[in-house]
Amino acid sequence: MGNGGDTYDSLLSSVWSKVRRKHFFPELPHPAISDSMDRVALEIKSKQITLSQSFIEQAARHLPLEQVIEALLDHGVSHYTYCPWDFHTHLTLYQEAKRVFKNKDKAQKSTDYFMDVVADTHCFKDKETSISQLYRHVERGALDEAIHALYQRIWGTDLNVQGHEEISRKLSRIPYLDRKHWPQSLHRFSRIIGSMLEAEQKSGTLNQPNPMGQNDFGRYSPEEMDQGLKEFAMATADPGAFKDVVKDFENELNEAGYDASSSMMGLGPGSSLDADTLFYMKLAENYTLPIKKIPIEKSGSLYPVSHSPWELGKPFRDIDPWTSFGKVMPGITQIWERREGETFGQEEGTPNCIVVIDSSGSMTNPRQRLSHAVLGAACASDAYLRNDATVAVYNFSDAKHGGHQILDYTRHRKKIYQTLCHYFGGGTRLDIDGIQSLQDPSLPDIFIITDMQITNLEVLVGYLNGLENRVTAVHIGDNARVSHFKKSTNIRKNISVYSVKKKNDIPKIVLGKIQEYFKSVS
Amino acid sequence: MINPFEDFKNYPYKKKEIPLDRIVQAKEKVIGEIVEGYLKLVEEEVKDLVWMVEHSRLIKAYSSAVRTIQKIDYDTDDIEELCIELDKGDKIPYLISGPAGIYLSALLNNAKEDTIQLGLYEFKRAFHFLGYRLPQGKTLLLKGNAGDFIGAGLSGGRLVVEGSTGNWAGAGMMDGELSISGNTGQNTGAWMSGGQINVEGHILGIGKTIHGGRIYHRGNLIRPYEASTR
Repeated sequence: MGNGGDTYDSLLSSVWSKVRRKHFFPELPHPAISDSMDRVALEIKSKQITLSQSFIEQAARHLPLEQVIEALLDHGVSHYTYCPWDFHTHLTLYQEAKRVFKNKDKAQKSTDYFMDVVADTHCFKDKETSISQLYRHVERGALDEAIHALYQRIWGTDLNVQGHEEISRKLSRIPYLDRKHWPQSLHRFSRIIGSMLEAEQKSGTLNQPNPMGQNDFGRYSPEEMDQGLKEFAMATADPGAFKDVVKDFENELNEAGYDASSSMMGLGPGSSLDADTLFYMKLAENYTLPIKKIPIEKSGSLYPVSHSPWELGKPFRDIDPWTSFGKVMPGITQIWERREGETFGQEEGTPNCIVVIDSSGSMTNPRQRLSHAVLGAACASDAYLRNDATVAVYNFSDAKHGGHQILDYTRHRKKIYQTLCHYFGGGTRLDIDGIQSLQDPSLPDIFIITDMQITNLEVLVGYLNGLENRVTAVHIGDNARVSHFKKSTNIRKNISVYSVKKKNDIPKIVLGKIQEYFKSVS
Repeated sequence: MINPFEDFKNYPYKKKEIPLDRIVQAKEKVIGEIVEGYLKLVEEEVKDLVWMVEHSRLIKAYSSAVRTIQKIDYDTDDIEELCIELDKGDKIPYLISGPAGIYLSALLNNAKEDTIQLGLYEFKRAFHFLGYRLPQGKTLLLKGNAGDFIGAGLSGGRLVVEGSTGNWAGAGMMDGELSISGNTGQNTGAWMSGGQINVEGHILGIGKTIHGGRIYHRGNLIRPYEASTR
């Protein structure tokens, strides 16, 4: 901060206290003033509002300093307390603008201006604010003039703007304060300002920020992003629509620190954003499938499970020379992570799970439309991961001709989802040896999801009937083969069969539901 | 005991009435009346479930639409909003193309404004019959592709389409000018008795029976033959 920093600090504190009270004490950190922001009045990063000192000084030539700061804070806080409110709403609004423009920059700018109009109008109507006085003196581009002409109409106050009669008249018909209709309202807003954005694009000024600051995603915390993406995946229920929006913000999401590596809910550090995988990850988080636990006893012996980088101080005996290129060097050398083995015993636990997923031509391509098979398998995988178990995946179509992918037991959520989302298409022929290769003496649960239109269904039925593992079989849709499968496995008490015809059928699945086990733990 | 709302005791909270409230309320009222009029027309027109394009039926539907809208104080913004509602179907449970187009034309022809611009780019549906019986003194500019029977029965007005039209463009037009920057479908200008059609794009087919008027293709007169070969 430049000269007079103390004056600004004390003034900012007193105004902030007033603004907080006015906006019913929002959970926001104390704002700051920066002397390095030239182009915009304020910015919000991780909920922290930072005001531009140069903007304040310029505006203070026409208005008392206190009023300038209060108006800017009112504007910033209204975005937090009213519009967009949360990340999900922000994405939903952007999606609507993108439908109109099919162009990221225009859609983003239109969404920004719309959110400004909503937040400012809410503030002007419901709070005592100096926003209108401030707007009388800000520097304006053509679009800003049009928006201020709109404010003149809908606020009934003079902002020293001439012209823009037609556009402001059309814009004034939009019910900005009707939250339920925001997407439709933004659609209309975007159509109306479309020609002005087109003109900005031609003149090369489209990327210039709104003078009051851009409403970028940097304002949200990674947790808010996680929650917002989860809600957005649920609301769109369409991988294409989800991808269309999320792909546009790959860099912004990464820059904003979205990788959620600390939990199993994210992608992991340094990962590129695969929007299709992310869609099913976030959608699956909306469902929680219950798992019936079984009596399990720790065997006491440790066995190697996965690799992790070796660091100084870690024991040499766990180094895996095969993956360490013969070197002992931090960052290159890999060591085995060991886990205690489990056998049946008296304590309740969750066994590991083999997820078998059909991705043949008769199944929905998960990258084109919502695949209930992938969603079901994803929910099942998450349920086992949440219960500290590991998951192996067998994804198949015409397995005899190479149409299969096997992922060994892992807790790496992204790898599991990538394998689940892989789509082969083509015929459906199961290779029992593939599933058998994942079997182990601890009897992992088996979760199989298919439309049952498998050429060698008899082989599968025979195999499952010979197993002692708990099997959860889920069929997508109904057909003669489903009935045959149900009849053939009916006498087996370790096999539960569920039907999924729509998204809402998924939460009805109970994993590993077997009468005997159920009795033993209840 | 501490009052948890103590901090708000002196908070000067009063909701202001701003012009936006009045504008939105008035708009909602007009749109409600327009939609009601449309539904009434549809109810009258689809009694026998099938809506056939017949001359007498068109006249009857148009007259009925004009009667319905007479008492409504609307402007072109309301017409544009009706198009959005018809396209999205939130307020309107069903769109029947024929009556919808006739109703829109009745609104356009009786609007206060002499020059009207309607953007059709964003709509998923194609609107038919736009510019039906457009009277003298009115100019209608359609931006984007339109449906069938555009400018049918044109009655002296000027209809400009910045895009393509479907079949039967300018069918039965009596006077005025229909300019299409894109393509037209089959039976362009069928039964026309006067006026002028200008097409810049491809014409899929000209109407077999043409009683009068002129059709130009990229500036060249193509109907009537006699005049074009003279």
